Amino acid sequence: MKTKKQKIVNGILAAVMLVMSLFFLFPVIWMLANSFKPDAAITADMNSASAFIPPAPGKGFFDNYKEILFNTSFVRYMLNTLFYAAILIIAGVIVNGLAGYALAKIKFPFRDRWLAVIMMLMIIPTETIITINFMFVSKMGLLNTVFGYVLPMIVNPFNIFLFRQVFVSLPDDVWEAAQLDHCNPVKYFFTMVLPMSKTVVATVSVFTFLNVWNDYLWPSLVFTSSDLLTAQIGLNSITSNDNTTMGQTLAVITLITIPVIIIYSLFSKQIVEGVVSTGSKEG
Amino acid sequence: MKNKSNSVIGMAFFGPALVLMTVFLFIPMILTLIYSFTDYFALNPKLTHFVGLENFSTIFKDDLFTTAFLNTVKFVLIIVPLQTLGALGLALLINKVTVCKRYFKVAFFIPVVMSLAVVSNLWMQIYSPEGILNTILSNFGIDAQPFIYGADQALPSIAFMSVWQGVGYQMIIFLGGLQAINPALYEAAEMDHASGWSKFMNITLPELKPLCVFVFITVTIGAFRMIVQPMVMTGGGPSHSTYTIVYDIYETGTVNWEIGLASAMAIVFTVFVVILTIIQTILTRDKEDKHENKKAKNR
Repeated sequence: MKTKKQKIVNGILAAVMLVMSLFFLFPVIWMLANSFKPDAAITADMNSASAFIPPAPGKGFFDNYKEILFNTSFVRYMLNTLFYAAILIIAGVIVNGLAGYALAKIKFPFRDRWLAVIMMLMIIPTETIITINFMFVSKMGLLNTVFGYVLPMIVNPFNIFLFRQVFVSLPDDVWEAAQLDHCNPVKYFFTMVLPMSKTVVATVSVFTFLNVWNDYLWPSLVFTSSDLLTAQIGLNSITSNDNTTMGQTLAVITLITIPVIIIYSLFSKQIVEGVVSTGSKEG
Repeated sequence: MKNKSNSVIGMAFFGPALVLMTVFLFIPMILTLIYSFTDYFALNPKLTHFVGLENFSTIFKDDLFTTAFLNTVKFVLIIVPLQTLGALGLALLINKVTVCKRYFKVAFFIPVVMSLAVVSNLWMQIYSPEGILNTILSNFGIDAQPFIYGADQALPSIAFMSVWQGVGYQMIIFLGGLQAINPALYEAAEMDHASGWSKFMNITLPELKPLCVFVFITVTIGAFRMIVQPMVMTGGGPSHSTYTIVYDIYETGTVNWEIGLASAMAIVFTVFVVILTIIQTILTRDKEDKHENKKAKNR
């Protein structure tokens, strides 16, 4: 008897939540459905349920997407961003990983003080120093260059700390044995330490990618030349263009989200664990 | 001998990060502090004077900065309760529901994966005068609202959108916390025939308290850093109603090149963020110590 009542309660709860989730997602559903329509159809459908239903696939179904992909520089912006992300993932894993390893395993002068400094740096928001960094980069003549964008973003106190926390639990004797064998420490780091810590390398890489892909403020300052724009900044230059239709705007914001969705579905476990652990670690 | 080689290797490993940190973190921080006491104007650096605390009195007398400051506080006051309680509510519901759990988790997380620029562009369409939201409202007999185009509604509209985007992130954090609660606590309460409400008040909430503090502070800091959404959607308008502290730092520093003033603003902004972080550290550390004590006693 009780279980039957329980079942009904569960059913009602699920139904209520289903309705809630549809309300919650209505902007996204509307975006997807209308990204396949010409503007006339978007306006005509606005006041009916078909505002949330994509048109039947047929002639012109992908017109908005074709327009964005072939008649704007959007593909170039996407490739630019992938290129920056690749540089920052490789350079970030090397620089922050080496620093994290030194802080975890190598006894060098003031090591614990440095660790404290890094933890303090994690508090300072990037917005504090963005003006000065912009001034630096422009005085060095690095505006509108890949270097100007990438250099200030390589080092990341969070990632150093993350690497350090993982490397601390690696066994000590391997490092000692490597030293006895006169193994080159840099070679040891790349051939032993990193392969032993695939998870943290993956986590840092994924978060670096998401950060570069979604970043707005810094690339909007560094890049003004249209050849170098990242996808997010390029997106704005496309949508603020008067010739861009509503349907094309919806298509371009759908396109720009696809790579992120792919990353999330491939690495959802690491990401959710990362999100939850930030909560449990500090909370 | 070994110690010596260790310090060489250590510095070699730490060196690249240290160089980059020095150039792009330490020096900018120190310069921000120094410039905040000068009238440094980047287009004419030779005319720089030490002005003491003048920049700080200037910005707090400046109408634009005080507007930006108050707007930022408004953003915080709208976003923090909605997002924290919304995330907690969603997490509790999803924890309870037995069907399609995974679907619900994904559904409420979807806006999190979208970038600020994407969400801002999407909601510009949603909020547009003849947009979908006004169309839906008109079916309920509500007149067309200006949303982001009206000085009264722009800030709450952007704040609401930010909650919509962010709530899924904290929901996942709370879900992690809920799943970490020892089920034996609930079983014991059920033996005593405790009501659902008393279980929530006496077990769930106290167990989640450190997480609540963490979420509360991180959402506050996030709202405090608001800039991209108003930048994309309203340009800080209409009539500066969505202008924020960071937006003011950005425009004063990188558009007007008044580095001295911008630095003073940045210092004020940073002080607030650091205070919030310290509060969080103190509150959660306290809780953790108690937690440890409890565990020790139980043993």
